[in-house]
Amino acid sequence: MKALVFLAVCLPISAQWLRYPTPGIPRLADGKPNLSAPAPKTPDGKPDFSGLWMAAEGKYLPNLAADGVEVPFLPWAAALYKERQESHGMGRPSERCLTHGVTDFDALGTPIRIIQTPGMVAILYEAYNHWRQIFLDGRPLPPTVQTAYLGYSVGKWDGDTLVVDTTGFNDRGWLDDGGHPQTESLHVTERFRRSSFGHVDLQITIDDPGAYTRPWTVNLSGFNFFADSELMESICENEKDVSHMVGK
Amino acid sequence: MGSFRSIAGCVVLLSTCAPLPGQWLHYATPGIPRTPDGKPNLSAPAPKTPDGKPDLSGVWVSPGTKYFFDLTADGVEAPMLPRAAALYKERLAQLQKGHPSERCIGHGVTDYDTVPAPRRFIQTAGMIAILFESYNHYRQIFLDGRPLPKLTQPAYMGYSVGHWEGDTLVVDTTGLNEKGWLDMNGHPQTETTHITERYRRSDFGHLDLQLIIEDPNAYSKPWGISMVLNYFADEDMIENMCENEKDYPHLVGK
Repeated sequence: MKALVFLAVCLPISAQWLRYPTPGIPRLADGKPNLSAPAPKTPDGKPDFSGLWMAAEGKYLPNLAADGVEVPFLPWAAALYKERQESHGMGRPSERCLTHGVTDFDALGTPIRIIQTPGMVAILYEAYNHWRQIFLDGRPLPPTVQTAYLGYSVGKWDGDTLVVDTTGFNDRGWLDDGGHPQTESLHVTERFRRSSFGHVDLQITIDDPGAYTRPWTVNLSGFNFFADSELMESICENEKDVSHMVGK
Repeated sequence: MGSFRSIAGCVVLLSTCAPLPGQWLHYATPGIPRTPDGKPNLSAPAPKTPDGKPDLSGVWVSPGTKYFFDLTADGVEAPMLPRAAALYKERLAQLQKGHPSERCIGHGVTDYDTVPAPRRFIQTAGMIAILFESYNHYRQIFLDGRPLPKLTQPAYMGYSVGHWEGDTLVVDTTGLNEKGWLDMNGHPQTETTHITERYRRSDFGHLDLQLIIEDPNAYSKPWGISMVLNYFADEDMIENMCENEKDYPHLVGK
């Protein structure tokens, strides 16, 4: 069963990425990307996160707390998590092609493209062909008029770290494929730091008083630069899967 | 028959557009030209990028639905080859049942261009990304001089490269699959469809778009339409994840 879910959220095995040398990146004498070169800067001196990236490790998609951090569940959230675990994750939005949210897209092991302009960052996800916007123009988080899977995101600089705050979530998304619950009071803080040309560090803090007794923080393995390749189209057609899912 | 068809059209329209209760967030778009009363100055000159190219960045919306439903709405002839004409006739007779959107699969190049919902263009030196409100889908157009690649996996959005002809951005797209429909009515596309889009930002508030469809396996000669996208100031897109896989059992058709 887990294998079926895995296939439904990942690329088909036959998929082949287009090989095309990424223009303008630092390279070693043998032509390979120089992943330990310094992180690039934008013309206004901010770290530039633009480029293709992929989660460095896959273990956080099934469980954001894979490293053993304690998840301070409220009792109802603990019960729901247990039920989802016992049902093999049945009911997860992706089984009906309904996308991931912020935290599970961060943990997903398929490529993403970050596009950074002075006023915003856009993230293009290969998975589901979905996108996300992060506004950097100083606007405040708006009052929520319509809850959403990806919420509403604004970012600010803390030195070389981009700190992104997201609210406006619905309670139908799952924080990870394992089913850590979220509610409409979820506030996610992501701290992105490009430590070198080839790596982005990523720390996530989950603050959701509707589901957890206190904020909890995980240090993911971040993103590795995905050089000389490209996103391919991955429109979800796995609504066909739902009738084959098993679970309680 | 006619009333059934309009009902089916409504179902499809609801499923592909923003939900009716959807409210766009009002937030003053920073850095755009304004008239003395604070309104966006839509007739100001089109902005340029630092390297002197027209800058198409911003949120745009396609006015009206006529081309979304039927690219030939203004009477242009779609020179369909017999097989394509038969398929089109069948799709119309089936009240458009079978359109990819009924299973939340989304649109392709031409129907995203014409869909009456906002989309954001983000232009950088090497590429343009278009973020569509509908289906929360995006599209990439590479401006870095790369050639169109050999087709490895036919796709709904295909593979797009653009180049400048004066102030006009010319975008070529191939690599399309034959599962997409060019419009809601069902003008067919095949794996040999080549779409050319010619974008020209005539002033701050208007983006002219000419669409040309070329496909020797479906049409006897190239054909297309011209339309205008309008700048969508002081608003932003709202999340619109398709959940209308629930519609599927309710669609009527032969």
